Amino acid sequence: MDLASLIDDRPEDGVFRVHRAIFDDQAVFELEMARIFERGWVFLGLESQAPGPHDFFTTTIGRVPILVTRDGDGKLAGFVNSCPHKGSRLAQTQTGNARLFVCPYHSWTFDSAGRNKNVKWKKAGCYAAAFDADGHDLARLPAFASHGGFVFGSLSADVPPLAEHLGDAARLIDLIANQSEQGVELVPGGVTFTYDANWKLQLENCSDAYHFTSAHPSYIRILERRREAPDASVTRSVWEKDAAWSEETKGVAGGSYSFPHGHVLNWGRIAPSDALPLYESVDRLAAAHGDAVRDWMFNMRNLTIFPNLQIAENASSQLRVIRPISAGRTEMRTWCIAPKGESAAARRQRIRQYEDFFNPSGMATPDDTVSYENCQRGFASRVEPWLQGYARGIGASVAGGNAFSDPIGLSPERSVLADAQLCDETLYHGYYREWARRMAGAGAA
Amino acid sequence: MAAPLTRADAEELLYREALYLDRRDWDAWLALYTEDCVFWMPAWRDETTPTADPDAELSLIYYRGRRNLEDRVWRVRSGQSVASTPLPRSVHAVTNVLIEHADAASADVAASFTVHRWDPRSERQHVFFGTYRHRLVRDGDEWRIAAKTITLMNDVIPTVVDFYSI
Repeated sequence: MDLASLIDDRPEDGVFRVHRAIFDDQAVFELEMARIFERGWVFLGLESQAPGPHDFFTTTIGRVPILVTRDGDGKLAGFVNSCPHKGSRLAQTQTGNARLFVCPYHSWTFDSAGRNKNVKWKKAGCYAAAFDADGHDLARLPAFASHGGFVFGSLSADVPPLAEHLGDAARLIDLIANQSEQGVELVPGGVTFTYDANWKLQLENCSDAYHFTSAHPSYIRILERRREAPDASVTRSVWEKDAAWSEETKGVAGGSYSFPHGHVLNWGRIAPSDALPLYESVDRLAAAHGDAVRDWMFNMRNLTIFPNLQIAENASSQLRVIRPISAGRTEMRTWCIAPKGESAAARRQRIRQYEDFFNPSGMATPDDTVSYENCQRGFASRVEPWLQGYARGIGASVAGGNAFSDPIGLSPERSVLADAQLCDETLYHGYYREWARRMAGAGAA
Repeated sequence: MAAPLTRADAEELLYREALYLDRRDWDAWLALYTEDCVFWMPAWRDETTPTADPDAELSLIYYRGRRNLEDRVWRVRSGQSVASTPLPRSVHAVTNVLIEHADAASADVAASFTVHRWDPRSERQHVFFGTYRHRLVRDGDEWRIAAKTITLMNDVIPTVVDFYSI
């Protein structure tokens, strides 16, 4: 069986269905690791996570530990975080500063440019000439590039240039990166959580407008309680004036854009107001980028850069890195992402809005992740193997952009304009068309 | 002049807080806190250092004002949060209670905790562990919690952590 057949994509018949096996079959998972994560562009981190000479951060590509380090000349590069001698991980912390990485096992030593500087007791080692013929530097990532301070790498050289991989989704990264002339940074204090379900549930949930009023009524009600009786002890909501999900919202409330290579955006209209920490820059951003780009920076935007990066700018601003562990287990590394140089008051407001909504200790994310786990249990069924969650919006999806993308020169492959209750599901098609393209020809048992 | 807090006083209050959480006696739990209390669980800046400035660094939970705890209680009671329905079972064990500072009006108390949590829905159990620091203030004949800092040592969160399991 060709794995691409697990996506039933028949636009001429108005059908798009996804087979449950893509979520719970471990053989499918192993092929996803090999063909999607370990053979294509993967988000690694922000350049600002290693700001100075010899600063580094660590992450993973699929199952492989990765070291991103800045050398003494300020050049950033990516390596497999594994000693060529015995394979030991070299850097063992998420971030740090090291002129030299000394392997803790046998003391082979590498500089911050990945060059081998010492093989312990080399002369006494009675090596054959063949050993010297081998290089002893750290294995460099075959592809490594960044856009707007967002760093990507690939374990395979057989990838298109990063600009081609991102396509016009790069414009959406720019909407984040350009909120400050100094770029963006991660607020200190990352939060990691796990859930016992497939990684693609997180991929979908970020793009899922349909779940919001169903999964988060307790959060919505608490926002209302605060709005009814505001005081200094409660955090203001970015949605206090515009609620994209509200049934009372008239007209176009937002929509979705899909781009080649699996990148998607869903968005909702939010007018600039002082409930948003970015409001202090409202005039500067218009002057620097024009009103249209400025207004987009205030809109609610959930962006996925396939396969592992999501930036959610809704209740606050979150950067998420999805790390699949097995078919039924996923780790999420999450941060509050913020424009550098914002005022202390804006930063405080951003952080408070973040904690309530995004944290696994907050009032919204747990209601998502528990639902992922409920889905994962249900995926075991093959009585009706095809899921029906990819059909909303098929009648509204059009090729190209629309009156909201045109003013900022954004050219998506497909788009949907939505009222408050359309809740497009066709943007998932972008994920699974790319998934099918990458998995095509792979067979599972 | 009122007497400073004794260790017996501190243990009584901390054990009572644990009992109220494990019994789901939310109103009694909330009543232990002052109206302007700070409830804070820092995140971790790196492998060894918790975040220290809630206005410039992320916390797992940071509230200034009991009203926010009342919201959290409302949420788990509401039936409108799937993550809170059914509630996991928990047992708090509070140990190593030490008074670090005490005068007639206030006291700082250090303690350690483990919370065993069993979630019947997912058939999973987990132990959260860490330290507490309570700032207590005298309110007439009683002591109330003016600030509580929860330093969670195992901060890779299995799906959910909420106020009742820390």
